[in-house]
Amino acid sequence: MKLKDVLSPLRVWERAAKKPMTIKDPINDRPGATNYRGFHKNDFSKCIGCGTCEEICQNAAIDLVPVEGQETVEGDSGLRPMIDYGRCCWCALCVDVCPTGALTMSNDYTWIADNPEDYRFVPGADKTKWQESEKGYTRSPDIQIIDYDRVDMQELEPEERDKSFIEIVKGYNKEQAIKEAERCLECGLCIATCPAHMDIPGYIAAIRDDDIDNALRILYETNPMPEICGRICTHKCETACALHNNGDPLAIRWLKRYIVDQVPADKYSEILGTDHLEDEVLNRKVAIIGAGPAGLSAAYYLAIMGYKTKVYEALPGPGGMARYGIPEYRLPYDQIDKDINYIRSLGVEIQFNTRVGTDITLEELHSSYDAVFAGTGLHLGRSTRVPGADNKRVYFATDLLREVTLGNEIDVAKNIVVIGGGNVAMDITRTLARLQNQKYGKVQILTTCLETEDIMPADVEEIVEAREEKAVIDPGWGPKEIEIRDGKVYGLHVVKCLSVFDENGRFSPKFDEDQKKFFKADMVVESIGQGMDLSYLSEGIKSDLKFSPRGRIEVDDSFQSSLQWLFVGGDIIQGPDVIHGIANGYIAAKGIDTYLNAE
Amino acid sequence: MEQLIRKIKGMVHLKAYRKQRDDLYFITVEKAQLEMILSHLKKNEGFTHLAFLQAVDFIEDSRFQLTYMLYNYETGVNLGVLVLIDRDKPEMNSIHKLWAHGWQYQRELHELYGIDFPGSPRVHESFVLEGWEEMPPMRRDFDTLEYSERTFFQRPGRSTNDPKEYMKEKMYKNYAASPRIRRDDE
Amino acid sequence: MSNLSKSKYRGFEADRSKYPVEEEGKPVIDLESHKFTKIWQGPQHPGVTGNMAVELIINGDEIVDAKAHMGYLHRSFEKLMERRRYIQCFPIVCRICVPEPDTNEYCVSAAMEDLAGITVPEKAMWLRTLNLEMSRVGSFLMWIGGQAGSLGMGAISQWTVGMRDYWLDLFEEMTGGRVYHMYMIPGGVRKNLPDGFKDRARRLIVKTRRLMQDIDNTFLSNAIIKSRLQGLGVISPEMVDEYGIVGPNARASGREYDIRMNNPYVCYDNLDIKMITATEGDAYARAQVRYRELNQSLDLVAQILDRIPEEGAIQAEMPNLLHWKIPQGQTYVKAESTRGEHGFYMVSDGSEKPRRVFARGASYTHAISVLEKLAVNVSVSDLAGLMVSLHTCPPEIER
Repeated sequence: MKLKDVLSPLRVWERAAKKPMTIKDPINDRPGATNYRGFHKNDFSKCIGCGTCEEICQNAAIDLVPVEGQETVEGDSGLRPMIDYGRCCWCALCVDVCPTGALTMSNDYTWIADNPEDYRFVPGADKTKWQESEKGYTRSPDIQIIDYDRVDMQELEPEERDKSFIEIVKGYNKEQAIKEAERCLECGLCIATCPAHMDIPGYIAAIRDDDIDNALRILYETNPMPEICGRICTHKCETACALHNNGDPLAIRWLKRYIVDQVPADKYSEILGTDHLEDEVLNRKVAIIGAGPAGLSAAYYLAIMGYKTKVYEALPGPGGMARYGIPEYRLPYDQIDKDINYIRSLGVEIQFNTRVGTDITLEELHSSYDAVFAGTGLHLGRSTRVPGADNKRVYFATDLLREVTLGNEIDVAKNIVVIGGGNVAMDITRTLARLQNQKYGKVQILTTCLETEDIMPADVEEIVEAREEKAVIDPGWGPKEIEIRDGKVYGLHVVKCLSVFDENGRFSPKFDEDQKKFFKADMVVESIGQGMDLSYLSEGIKSDLKFSPRGRIEVDDSFQSSLQWLFVGGDIIQGPDVIHGIANGYIAAKGIDTYLNAE
Repeated sequence: MEQLIRKIKGMVHLKAYRKQRDDLYFITVEKAQLEMILSHLKKNEGFTHLAFLQAVDFIEDSRFQLTYMLYNYETGVNLGVLVLIDRDKPEMNSIHKLWAHGWQYQRELHELYGIDFPGSPRVHESFVLEGWEEMPPMRRDFDTLEYSERTFFQRPGRSTNDPKEYMKEKMYKNYAASPRIRRDDE
Repeated sequence: MSNLSKSKYRGFEADRSKYPVEEEGKPVIDLESHKFTKIWQGPQHPGVTGNMAVELIINGDEIVDAKAHMGYLHRSFEKLMERRRYIQCFPIVCRICVPEPDTNEYCVSAAMEDLAGITVPEKAMWLRTLNLEMSRVGSFLMWIGGQAGSLGMGAISQWTVGMRDYWLDLFEEMTGGRVYHMYMIPGGVRKNLPDGFKDRARRLIVKTRRLMQDIDNTFLSNAIIKSRLQGLGVISPEMVDEYGIVGPNARASGREYDIRMNNPYVCYDNLDIKMITATEGDAYARAQVRYRELNQSLDLVAQILDRIPEEGAIQAEMPNLLHWKIPQGQTYVKAESTRGEHGFYMVSDGSEKPRRVFARGASYTHAISVLEKLAVNVSVSDLAGLMVSLHTCPPEIER
């Protein structure tokens, strides 16, 4: 034993004179670190009740509960997370995963309550002393638990596409589609927004599992035109996507297209179980006016329910606006035919070149069928009615688009002005640009509209792509006059549009007459909306039908008009877009079934 | 390492071989040849350290996989020796004579997987689950959730909502269910 | 081995002539003979490490037979993980070891990354290294307190546990949590370092070094401590392989096995680090090894602080971790905890949840096979010191 080892430990007393390590009043003197994972906060202005926090909580500590004052609206379930502090382990995965960034943590770590039930609370709704605290744990912007970045879609380059009508979007391959499908949070907020209430998380999960057959079955539950929707749907679902709050929404539309692109047309009936569908199970017949999305959707569901259906179509091809209103580079005709041929294979008969009202009357249909569904669409152009709009070189967009599909030659001018800011305006702009390119080798087309660019109704990508194809978009102008010289169109005079809607949101444009512009043109196209053509309704039927004050046929929840045998749907009731038409046709089919069974 | 694998191939029937990393290899051998290869690896090839012995339940193939993880201090290589045994009659030769702590893993595996190691000391003593009466709990077919719901109670008053269903209830409750294909006999 | 001869009664190789006859290596004990008493040390006992119990047969105050009992805090983390998604695993594994949770976090994330073929960005690697080394400091500090406390020097426990709290303050700033840090997620880490962190960490290193000097004076250079620890629980070099002994326990018996150097992971191959060993193999040698390793860890933390890159990503590009599937395969990832080789063996069947996760706790064999052997012929009063000197940690045994 060394003497040093005996004496050295005595230095333990040195410590007696040192400052103690303890803190006198830890609760006040020692707040949690800035980054501390303390009690939860929830910012209700951001929270959308998607339930991803509940999904990731490995302790099952989170419930989604309704909270007073939180409404259920599109993109927000109105539910809010309730956390059970008897189970929480403060791992903050819920914070890291929160797609909106609403759920965070404060640095508060002391909480005393008499009632154990208090420790099960809804952050943000129940008053807590830390709700307003600025410190605490938040998701670092440098990490991602969920994937906010969309898988890029391959498209044709502007040079490859601006002369032809080849489809621009190439579609996902399997690897890309599964990668994109993996981003889905499966919250299901999108379903309420989709007019057809498709089971979007369901078919996306099927893509992840590479079970395309099941995915197709899910699609056909409420939507018999997935090839069409997979290309040109207005995809309102994507605006409701939870990922949209902090990143790119899921490419729901492209994923739908991926599913149907994988399945060859001859496999449909086998996968969907319609390979031995009996004809005329019910011995009841339904006539459908118009082979557009609404009419064919109704025809499809009526067919699988066992009705004999016949579709009367005025034009020589099926598809309605999907074929005659949407250019081929967005929606190739063979893809329309793929959807429609499958519907026809179920025994749905389409009689083309037959205009109801002239070739056959509605009364005749009524007498020979048990019920009639009318989905006649909006095929009439609307005019600006400015001076000069009656010139023969002033066209409606819908007419021109129809002519292009019919294969009729259009007298394309060298210098064109398009009036309108919606997707149809973009369609006609880009179609005419292609035709100009083919004919003259250069593009000279300008599109103007009342709305400024930020509130233009057209999809952003449409505007971007139109510009890539060398069209000029100059929004924010109101048409004043189409100048005519020697009977020929000379150009369009416009004035600055200050606002489009009044404070009540009603259409009431205001102009600054001093700010003027002149667009030179030898051809003008109007694309400011479409009207319906109800001339097939005879006076007798018209007087029995109820109309809304704005001139629409009144229908109930199942799209039944006041004439019980007549169901009406599609663009003339709701929309205009393809998905509303499909949803209307679907509900109307169910409505017709109920109506005919009730008799 | 490649050389060693060739050597092992000459000695025993090597069912599978896989390199996971530069310092981690897996070989699969026959059940009957395991002891021989382990003692060779320990005595002649420098794999003196047994890091662990564990089991994996491949219930779909009706097999347990036993993993003997060895380590060589000289080369710094981990070698996992894998054996597949019958899940319905799980029995394996004991290695407690090769490594003095082998019995401890074997006792654990008997309790958690129900694998027997005849001759291994105290192998039938309970390890962490005194008084356990259910099936060996680490087997895949033991349902932990079902067990805990049967044994413990949930905190009363908790209920949750699925956003998807809740929104349907609130926003489009009357939306028709998808029609089924109607057949003749309906 | 020099101390062995000095030992009066310690060590299993001591004279056993007056003890019961052995059959098959086990003493035959007849409790009815009234020559022996059976007592339980634990599961609630200040002299055991964590929640475990040792069933002792004693003769006078000497232990003739010992049996370790586990199972007082079995939560079956391994089974829980089989029922959870990969991303939900990391908040679970930290609970496998309270004083040093980060090794578990690192191993489970690294195993997933190895199976999924993900490369972690450099900065995240350095932050992980920092986190791991800081957790070693915290764990060693707690161990010193435990070893001193188990021998009756409660004052030192208070110093070191107090000092550990300052280290926990750093963890709190860095990770948001004091004890369970849940910092290393698959693909990287969750947070960048806060402003001013490095300076505060450097100041704390200085402060800790001062404490280390005090500990040297009062603990290692203490005649009483020396007389109690020297010769206690001698592990011979042959035992190391025989019993799968790892970490400082193995190094104190001359085995040069430290995963940070033998199989470098994260950024350890970029650091100036030396193997620390001793030859005596007794409890005092283990204490010395740990003391020196703690000093080296402080040094390493300082090195790491200097080398963490300012810029760079802290997480690799990851898919949506809610639906993360890992390709089929199996792997074993290990790291050097303060108790030695701490490893995770992970088997994936290609689904969203692991097929099997096994946590190889470093002290798995130390607390049972080794303890049961070393406890024989030790005085009851030294058992606590012996257990702490093996640095056993029950939760990592029963997981």
